[in-house]
Amino acid sequence: MRRARQVLSLLACALLLSGCQKEPVEGTTFAMDTVMSVTLYGGWDREQTKEVRDWMLGRLGWLDGLLSAVDGDGDLPTLNRAGGQPVEVSERVSELLDRALELCEITGGALDVTAYPAIKAWGFTEEEHRVPSPAELAELAAKIDYAAVEVEGESVTLPAGMEIDLGAVAKGYAGDVLAETARANDISSALLDLGQSTIVAVGGKPGGKPWRVGIVDPARPGSYFAVVELADMAMGTSGGYQRYFEQDGVRYWHILDPDTAAPARSGLSSVTVVSPSALTCDGLSTALFVMGLEEGADFWREHPELEFEAVFVTEDGGIYRTAGLEGRFSLAKGYEDREVTVLE
Amino acid sequence: MRTKVIVFLLAAAVAVSAGALLLRGGQTENPVARITRDGVLLEEIDLGRVAKPYSLALEDESGGNTVLVEPGRIRVTEASCPDQVCVNQGWIDSGAVPIICLPNKLMIEIVGGGGDLDGTAG
Repeated sequence: MRRARQVLSLLACALLLSGCQKEPVEGTTFAMDTVMSVTLYGGWDREQTKEVRDWMLGRLGWLDGLLSAVDGDGDLPTLNRAGGQPVEVSERVSELLDRALELCEITGGALDVTAYPAIKAWGFTEEEHRVPSPAELAELAAKIDYAAVEVEGESVTLPAGMEIDLGAVAKGYAGDVLAETARANDISSALLDLGQSTIVAVGGKPGGKPWRVGIVDPARPGSYFAVVELADMAMGTSGGYQRYFEQDGVRYWHILDPDTAAPARSGLSSVTVVSPSALTCDGLSTALFVMGLEEGADFWREHPELEFEAVFVTEDGGIYRTAGLEGRFSLAKGYEDREVTVLE
Repeated sequence: MRTKVIVFLLAAAVAVSAGALLLRGGQTENPVARITRDGVLLEEIDLGRVAKPYSLALEDESGGNTVLVEPGRIRVTEASCPDQVCVNQGWIDSGAVPIICLPNKLMIEIVGGGGDLDGTAG
């Protein structure tokens, strides 16, 4: 009898082992002008994991409203309309603004959160595109200057005529918030897709292997040219192919050079940044795209404290990656014969 | 006798486990296109079983998209949205990148088909 019980418990163990890579809890929502999805592998309590998922999806909607420059009476629209008067913003907005301004400073203004009037002038907010005249661009560029933003606690002052948009960092920030939530709820394995441009891996896959995330080929946005293995790591990509319009045979994309208020033409077609912080990935991928390959590579060499690695794709199809991705980066099927230059 | 029973039961347990692992990890099935609007499933198309091309008109109050289905691949050919991002994306034949029409909240993603990616950035 005892033997039978032992056998039964052995059977039960075997079944449990086979079932331990169970189905994830998944969820999708539309927020921040994109589709976001979460894939969570929780503990034994599936209902609890579902609650975490619902909280995350709700949080994304909430952050979308909080950080949007577009909606009517949020902190940013109020600040943008204040005509130079100080405005009290919520703690989260001031915290994110502080961190975004740090990135603006460290990148020498290649990232600039005050480029919003230029983004609007090009019609990227309403998808009613137009090409502003050179005179208009010069006027717009003169009013892009993150250094003019004053943050004191939760009071923010923005000179009249300038406007802030946190679009270049909001998804990354949201990714960090969600990753923190996952860890706090004992979800040791999760993939958080903040609309493809930003992806956060919490832990590795169930079973311990890293998550395999593809990088889109800017020349063929339906395919991916490389795979990066991620564990407790975020990844963000900025590319001219993501949002653009064409007029008279010229392609104008949404990543603007703060110096010219026009689409950044640095010779790159995409930049991917890998870092533990999704906010860093999001902000730096934009900044490095504006800088271009050489300046971007120098920036990587000069800022080890930012703990990031990068993959650059040039407009002529050249692939460059930083040395720290060794062992985590591989070319995808069909791209094996492409040359990859390692930046040291 | 008892030993034989134990061995048999153990073998059965291993077989069940292995079977479960194979079923889950194999991913040898056909690629399936899932078309959703605002998270609600509209169509699920086994792209491995499409014999000849056909198109689908998907319309509701948020807008319309025309989807073309061919063996092994799928695309949006027409959309009522102003940006035409979904149309410009062209064909997809793997789970690498979904087609998303934001204005109409339409998403076409391919699942299955043996892809080894967990996600894509870009």
